[in-house]
Amino acid sequence: MEQHVVKLTDAENQLADLLQAAGAADAKAALTANGLPTRRIEEYHYTDLRTLLREVPANLAKANDGLPSEQFEDFSRIVLVNGALVHADTIDGVEIKSADVARTVGHDQIINLMDGFAQSQIEIVISKSIETPIHIAQVHDGANSVAASKVNVRTAKGVEAAIIETFEGSNESGLRFADFAMDVAAESNLLHIQLDQNAKYARQFVQNRYDLHEDANLRTLVTHSNFQLGRTDIKADFKGEGAHADFGGLNLLVGQQHGDITLNVNHGVPNTTSTESFKSIVRDRAKAIFQGKIIVAPDAQKTDAQMMCQGLLLSERAEVLVKPELEIFADDVLCAHGATCGELDENHLFYLMSRGISRADAESMLIKAFLAELFDEIENEQVHAKLENRVDAWLAAAE
Amino acid sequence: MTTPILEIKNLHVKVEEEDKQILKGVDLTLPAGEVHAIMGRNGSGKSTLSYVLAGKDGYEVTEGEILFMGKDLLEMEADERAAAGLFLAFQYPIEIPGVATMTFLKAALNAQRKTRGEDELKIPEFMKLVKDASAQLEINQDMLKRPLNVGFSGGEKKRAEILQMALMQPSLCVLDETDSGLDIDALKIVSEGVNHLRDANRSMLVITHYQRLLNYIVPDRVHVFSDGRVVESGDRELALELEKKGYAEFDGTAA
Repeated sequence: MEQHVVKLTDAENQLADLLQAAGAADAKAALTANGLPTRRIEEYHYTDLRTLLREVPANLAKANDGLPSEQFEDFSRIVLVNGALVHADTIDGVEIKSADVARTVGHDQIINLMDGFAQSQIEIVISKSIETPIHIAQVHDGANSVAASKVNVRTAKGVEAAIIETFEGSNESGLRFADFAMDVAAESNLLHIQLDQNAKYARQFVQNRYDLHEDANLRTLVTHSNFQLGRTDIKADFKGEGAHADFGGLNLLVGQQHGDITLNVNHGVPNTTSTESFKSIVRDRAKAIFQGKIIVAPDAQKTDAQMMCQGLLLSERAEVLVKPELEIFADDVLCAHGATCGELDENHLFYLMSRGISRADAESMLIKAFLAELFDEIENEQVHAKLENRVDAWLAAAE
Repeated sequence: MTTPILEIKNLHVKVEEEDKQILKGVDLTLPAGEVHAIMGRNGSGKSTLSYVLAGKDGYEVTEGEILFMGKDLLEMEADERAAAGLFLAFQYPIEIPGVATMTFLKAALNAQRKTRGEDELKIPEFMKLVKDASAQLEINQDMLKRPLNVGFSGGEKKRAEILQMALMQPSLCVLDETDSGLDIDALKIVSEGVNHLRDANRSMLVITHYQRLLNYIVPDRVHVFSDGRVVESGDRELALELEKKGYAEFDGTAA
């Protein structure tokens, strides 16, 4: 690792002390040497954390038995409070246990923090198909504190399963990290959805990693809506031929919220396909970022990857920043990316109003229509309803 | 004498933020129960008149007034005009992806009812209304499940407009080139749909290029529109004469 002297900010010094207290000396050394990511680091170009993370909590979150409020009827339930496993339903064919954390230190300081603050990792092994989705409630409970969780999911060949994660927090200005890794076994069919239900001033950093094996199928959806500052880093690696994945994400932001979704999809083997669909709706002075990179390896012929990012600006000073990238090293592939950004179409609004619908209702209809294709693919009614309720609440709050 | 449904008096309109005057003194009175046709060449201001009536943004009324059943129409927002009973059948109905046609119809009908202080329609009531009205226009139910106007053929779009008109039961129907893009069969279906709505309490303003539509929707009066105003009015014979002689005879551009 490159060693040079960085003058640390108060926040960086505070985080270094907290890493020491968490027993993560290597992560502390890396942070002290490099500082938090700034705009000069490509992956953080629009999310300069030295500027955005000027205040950090003074304490590590303690073990706690705070309970989640988000409920799904009949779903199996796993509850993590401040990263520790406090409850797991007995699920036929699923093994759930808490293990010692395996920490690594790399070039990304946020990932180092994520690993450094985690005190355990939750191992979930799904050995047969499950009909009811698993709800993992991640609660961050403790005033003004730092917490981190690590969840590793492995499945057996041919398994079908759905995992819905919710992020909740009772404290106002906490800092949370969540690492999620899923090994999508050959011929399996998995769904992974993350709904954030944090407190208003929460800061959140999430990493989702997926390894896809032969003929696997995966659908994901990330929602960014309830936090002050949030970043989700998605990394997917196609390792088996015939695999397909649909990656989706939403930034639904208002006020001065800052939401960043950064995606890296690596088509490393031939005959794999993916779609990437990311949408942002911003109001006031909110800022939504989507960076998506698709890499097609030299021998990954017949890759088909279609990436689309769309932004809807509802206020003059709101911002949507998108950076789609394709790096293609194979010659027989179908890849495309597109980006659109704009306001609501006045002709659409006029048509709806000319039929008696008020401007506010017409706007709501068009905003929901903009999101429809993202939600339509989510077949579970409860999850679908939660997504729609969240959008309704967001729309109602602005009126 | 009863109040006319629509009175347009010396209406002058220009495009907002431009100097271009489009309507230059339109006078037109439409009594209850009558169907009037407006004929004119491209660019004469016919469509602008329909947009100004419906309340589209982007136009500035510089002079004159519009009374809708005696009330100042220009004071009302587009949605209020619809609830008060004005309906514009668009020349080019707007495609709105992500909004199912049925969802839209229900939202529109209930929004109008709410503005008028009426109760919302119950779902079975609504379904029956749509089913009856669409059968007459030969609209199949699958079309109504699709997003509004998205992927509809030209004929389907126009039939969907007339379906909306039938459901909303307006006092004033403004039909903006409803015949454009229709083949003979579709023209017949649409015209029958319109004729079915003719009523002693309902007036229609039919805007068209061609006299052909007026063989199906027979007007009580015909107005020739040129350079932003009505230059000649007469009975339906005027439309035939216009077809024979061309617009030049009427708007002073004849050699």
